[in-house]
Amino acid sequence: MSDQSPQDAGFWNPYFAGFMLGLVLLASFLVMGNGLGSSGAATRLAVSAAHAVAPQTIEHNGYFSQYFGPGKAVLDDWLVWEVLGIFLGAAMSAYAAGRMKLSITRGPRATGARRLVLALLGGILMGVASRIARGCTSGQALTGGAVLSLGSWLFMFAVFGGGYLAAPLLRRQWK
Amino acid sequence: MMLPLYTHDLFGRATGMVLGTLIGIAFGFVLERAGFGRAPLLAAQFYGTNMRVFKVMFTGIATCAIGIGVLSGVGVLDLAQVTVPETFLWPQVAGGALLGVGFIVAGYCPGTSCAAAASGNLDGLVTYLGVGLGTLLFGGFYPWLEKFYTSSAMGVTRIDTLVGVPFAPVAVAVVLMAVGCFFGAEALERILARRGQTALPAGNLGVRNRTFVALAGLAVLGLATLGWQPSQAQEMPKPFGYISAIDLATRLSRAPDTLVLLDARPAGECKAARLRSAQCLTGQPAGFVASLPTTRQVVVYGNADSKALAQRLRAFPGEVLVLMGGYPAFAKAVLDPPLPPANPTPEAVAAYRTQSALHGYFTGNRQAPEPVQVRAAPAAPAGVSVAKKGGGC
Repeated sequence: MSDQSPQDAGFWNPYFAGFMLGLVLLASFLVMGNGLGSSGAATRLAVSAAHAVAPQTIEHNGYFSQYFGPGKAVLDDWLVWEVLGIFLGAAMSAYAAGRMKLSITRGPRATGARRLVLALLGGILMGVASRIARGCTSGQALTGGAVLSLGSWLFMFAVFGGGYLAAPLLRRQWK
Repeated sequence: MMLPLYTHDLFGRATGMVLGTLIGIAFGFVLERAGFGRAPLLAAQFYGTNMRVFKVMFTGIATCAIGIGVLSGVGVLDLAQVTVPETFLWPQVAGGALLGVGFIVAGYCPGTSCAAAASGNLDGLVTYLGVGLGTLLFGGFYPWLEKFYTSSAMGVTRIDTLVGVPFAPVAVAVVLMAVGCFFGAEALERILARRGQTALPAGNLGVRNRTFVALAGLAVLGLATLGWQPSQAQEMPKPFGYISAIDLATRLSRAPDTLVLLDARPAGECKAARLRSAQCLTGQPAGFVASLPTTRQVVVYGNADSKALAQRLRAFPGEVLVLMGGYPAFAKAVLDPPLPPANPTPEAVAAYRTQSALHGYFTGNRQAPEPVQVRAAPAAPAGVSVAKKGGGC
């Protein structure tokens, strides 16, 4: 052990943070009857932007057509508001802790440009993946895990499996 | 059963949005405080040097699961009204693995990328944009993916029902498994820190132990609920029936004296516009429900279908009907002027006549004119089912 300060100094104890996360998730179930999510709102925002460009293509798409029809608005969903809340809450927390700073977080050997390209690529992979799995780490692993959904537990194991399998290939990026 | 709150129709859309935003704020705050706005810290999970992602997530799941176990065990939370993601076995395994790869490439998962973007990290913003683009890509390839996407559908499959035991003991098992794994994860962190001559992850032992004690306390409570049977018997749900908007309108026009109509929406909405002869349920004195005449059927409506509406009338010994689709369904079927059928088959015209007569009766508007011409119904193509009728969610 050396005396360099660990990279997670200044953040909450992980178990305490997890306990608080569990309480927020529980509150969401008790009030809305639903857990948390974040990829669902990305879907709705992206579909709404694409609809502004090419309404016909989007409305006739076999998957996106579910968001359109009489009495439906693609952005009219509580998840969109919840994700707006994530932005506000995280900004409040970062600001109060003095961590609000324009930057690109990266491993010691990674360049900023390369980091952004990989961030976009990883995001795209997760976008596809979260639609195939019907949710992401929030909507499936956390939410479904807490209500003991079988598929959500398998999803969670698969996330860790996929991450550990691919990690050695990306060592240069992070170590 | 008092929870979840939404089943009581207490809040309309605006309140729902505010509550959604507030829950999101709490979620975002916790994510940032957990350190999830920093990609290298998240990526460290997959190199074993800092198992923070695993600790936070698994503690969160265990806490929420045992909370649900306790609250549903003592009959405060109606588990049947909580949304459980459906299981699609292989799509979820494949999607999970792909998401794991995306996680280590991007350094974030979708939720944490939001928290990162909000604290000024451009890589987080770019990741979240990527998630949106990936969604569009999925939509583009949907014709080829659809077969796999809808395969191995198992509906709502909960581990507790699969094993055939109540929710609480399975939640207790999750807590025990989590704590066991945490000790393993910490041992691994120590080994890797020694080998790599790097700093151990931060973490106050006192805070950790207090969290474990809190979880253990909840687990004991969860097990204690297994002996809670008597009060569950008291909480027998009120049996009730459903009535459709058109059936209700017909009965109100023919035999209004056989019904008592109650508007269970928030007082403001009820005062603004309600069905003719309906009374606002919200704000009535205690004992009002019990004093209703048992010789009549009570019809209750809210802003949507809800089993919980009937439960508000538990004190009424007589028969309770819930209006399918609530006030919006009645407004759409009866109060809005009916449109003449596009395809005037005799059945469609008869339905249109009934609807416009009811519309006239309830609004005082003149009946709309007859459709031009009655056309014979075309033979229904074989194998095509009749349009779905009613149905809640």
